[in-house]
Parts: sequence; structure tokens; C-alpha cells
Amino acid sequence: MEGIPLHLRYAVPEKGYEKFWEGLTRNEIWGTRCSKCGTLYYPPQRDCSLCNTSDLEWVKLSNRGKLMTYTLVKAKPQGYENQEDYVIGIVRTDEGVDLMCWIRGNPRVNSTVKLVTDGKRVVGEILDV
Amino acid sequence: MRRRVGVIGVGMSKFGKRDDVSVRELSWEAIREAFQDAGITQRDVDLVVAGSTAYRGVELYPAPPVSEYSSLTGKSPIRVEAACATGSAAAFTAINSIASGMVDLVLAVGFDKMTEVDTQTSLAIGGRGGNYEWEFHMYGTTFPAYYALYATRHMAVYGTTEEDMALASVKAHKYASMNEKAHLRNRVTVEDVLKSRVISWPIKLLDSSPISDGAAAVVFASEEKIRELKIDTPVWIEGMGYGSDTSSIARRGEWTSLRAARDAANMAYAQSRRSPRDVEYATVHDCFTIAEIMAYEDLGFAERGRGAILLREGQTERGGKVAVNLFGGLKAKGHPLGATGLSMIYEVTKQLREEAGPVQQQFKNYVALTHNVGGTGHYAYVSILSR
Repeated sequence: MEGIPLHLRYAVPEKGYEKFWEGLTRNEIWGTRCSKCGTLYYPPQRDCSLCNTSDLEWVKLSNRGKLMTYTLVKAKPQGYENQEDYVIGIVRTDEGVDLMCWIRGNPRVNSTVKLVTDGKRVVGEILDV
Repeated sequence: MRRRVGVIGVGMSKFGKRDDVSVRELSWEAIREAFQDAGITQRDVDLVVAGSTAYRGVELYPAPPVSEYSSLTGKSPIRVEAACATGSAAAFTAINSIASGMVDLVLAVGFDKMTEVDTQTSLAIGGRGGNYEWEFHMYGTTFPAYYALYATRHMAVYGTTEEDMALASVKAHKYASMNEKAHLRNRVTVEDVLKSRVISWPIKLLDSSPISDGAAAVVFASEEKIRELKIDTPVWIEGMGYGSDTSSIARRGEWTSLRAARDAANMAYAQSRRSPRDVEYATVHDCFTIAEIMAYEDLGFAERGRGAILLREGQTERGGKVAVNLFGGLKAKGHPLGATGLSMIYEVTKQLREEAGPVQQQFKNYVALTHNVGGTGHYAYVSILSR
């Protein structure tokens, strides 16, 4: 028999992270840094759980980095079924932050990457010829 | 551990697309076998620990229906979850409940009916197996994509090839063909694997474990109880280590090895005073073929970067230095998340008791290991068992 479908609708809070989401419309990638112990958080955190403070400042990350690894996604999940095939990568920025992004161009591990945004996410453009 | 704990009964349902049963009958299939194997009934059970991820089945809170069907109501106050390591989390809870002195006989039962939703929904659930906001939402991650990030890096750093990974699949299918309870019993060649559909490059369909339904059950008991019941073939838990890692895969700092698995292995070796060289049989978490290669390295069977050599040389086949996954592995035996960790204990118990039929490994010292990873290295459990 057919089970009753379950439709889940989620409201996800953005409070405190507006700067990050706005940055994605301006080619800016923002993390947070604890003003007490200096820990840099990416993804950004509102709280520094290491020294129990909420006194963090926003820090803009470098737009250049190196491709650590990647994959070409052919079998796509619900929510992305209408997308063209996409490449997910992990890039290490100049300051040593590892971040997930989509990759444009012909990826190879250790390629130099320029990081931009497309309004919804970080995108790494491969600079090597 | 404060008190010695042993395995006295094991059971496992047939794995596969089980549209002939609900999660209740499926679980009872495993529980009944474990009870018969141990020679006990429900009356002997002090506590039931259920393990199920439950996200893909119609029954979102499946432990009470399973307990009710199995006449275990009143003894089952808990369901645990640790993604793909859920079965081991149930074993961990059961073992510690006995080791602490609280109870003497515990049934751990793990089950999942994963084929009740369609594949795309299943990918979307697995893709949330990292961090929803920072990964799935923005980048459309999938479970195969996560492991593919490890595969790509392992290939670039160590020269591991797609052919190497295919060898793990060929081995898994070969042994699953001899296991009546396995999900995929067809044999495959390296060429079949390389030509199969790309899921998330470099991972292809035949590098991937199937979406399976299944259940497994293990009866654990204290040493005193084992004597009282006059069990003559107990399998002892010498150690059970654990580890965990970041939800965000980008924050791991390396993508060629699973820190959680290394930590779990080191803890289990220390508890049991054993080393990788002592292990004669192992089940490893080969949800994707690259995971088997990393497991060899994380467990110390091979040096970092050299896991594929064991496959090329056949050292993890039956009769090899350390036989691995002779029941077909997650890759071909199947991978019903909640059941997998307990089905590993089922397998190792059968091997140590020399009840494994055509895939029996020859032991000298009767030492075996289970390696069960949850998520993409978010959780890991390694246990060492002996006869």
C-alpha cells in the first residue's frame, strides 16, 4: 500500500549571520574571529565555544586559494535535481581556511583558485591554464 | 571495562530490497535467530537497545513497534543513532550497560528499512549527513560526493587508482555470491566497475554500497551469566574504541584518512593490548570502495597511502594476512544503516566459532576486529573480539 507522504517545511534562522549571507551577493566570504583567543571560525560562529565568549568580530577571507579535492556530482539529490552537473570542491584559502565551494573550470588537485560568489554560494574559478 | 562481556547469540535477516516485510517482521527475523542461537527467550533479557536511523522508513519511531511485535515490551527504553555506525552504537550501549554492572543480559538489535523512499529522497537525506546549512543547502552534497572528496585526494596524494578501488568491489561481490543473506550476489569484474554509471566522480555505481533493508541482532551477557547459562562458545569483547570528527567535511584538515577511525582503532588496540598484526579477521566499513582502502590504513594493516597494495596482492582475501569482509562487505552484503554494525559482530562471531562454511578463515589465535564508520567519518567504532 502507499504510505501517507510526509511533507516537512523548515524555517531556518539566519539571525546573527546576515553578514555572511549578504557577502554571498558581493563576492565576499566572511568568517568570525574570537576577540579573546583569536580563533578564526569558518563556517562563522556567533559564539566562541573554546573561551566561552560571544565577543567575535567579522573577518573577510582571502579570495585566493588552492584546490585540495573535488568531485563531479552526477546523481543529484532532491532540491538540486534540475541543476546541471556540478563540481564540489574544498579550497584552502591563503590564510589557511578550508572551505567548501562549487568549482568552475577544469579542476585538478593543487590548482590555484579565485574565489567569487554567485549570490547563493562560494564559487572557485580555476586559474591554471 | 569493569566486567567482562561476551557475545552469546547472533542473528541476521536476509539483506536486500525487502518489500515482503515491514520493519517489525524484518527485525524479528534477526531477533529470533539470535535468541535460538543463544538458547534464551525474552524472559532472560534484562534490556533491549535498539539502533535505527529510521529516516528512510515509514515508521519514524520504530523501536516500540519492533519491541511489541517481538514480545519485548517493557524492556526497551532506548533507540540510539550514529548514522551508519548506529549498529555499533547499540552494541556500545549494550556492552557498557553490562560492563558497568547494571544488567547481565542485553539484546542489541539494529534495523533499517531504507527502500521505503525513492532514491532521490534517499540521496537528499544522506546529503544532509554533514552539516545542513553550511554544506547541503549551499552545495547540494550527497553521501557519495562526500566519499568522492576523499577518493580524489587519496588518488592525487598517493597515486591510488580507480582500478585499485574497483578491486575492492570485485572482492566484495565474489564473497557475497557465497552468502545467502547478501543483498547483491552477482559477481563483477574490474571492467564492469570502471564502466558503471558515474554517481559522483570518481565514485561509480559499482563502487557504492546498495540501499538495503535489513536487521541484525546480538545477545551480550556478563561473564557470570555466561557461566550460569553454561554457554560453551562465547566470543569475548576485548575492547571497543570510539572516535568522532567535525560535521563539516571542509574542517577535517585532511581527506585521505578518517581521524575518527584512527582514534577508535588506537583505543581498541590499547584496551585489548593487541596490535594490528594480531588481527586475523576483520570487517571494515566499505560503504564505498575508497573507504575499504582507507580502513586498511586507519587500522594499521597498511601504512598511510599503501592500502591499495593489500588489495592488489590479495592479502585481505580468505587465507590472506588478514581476511576482510568475507561475507561480502557493505558493498555487496548490503548496508542497512542500523543493522550494519551488529551484522559485523554477527560475521566475526560466526568466523571465530568456525561456523562460516565456505568462507571460513583459518585462525591461529582467534582474534578479530570490527570497524564501523558513521556518516563520512563523523562517528567511528572499532571493536576487538576473541574466542
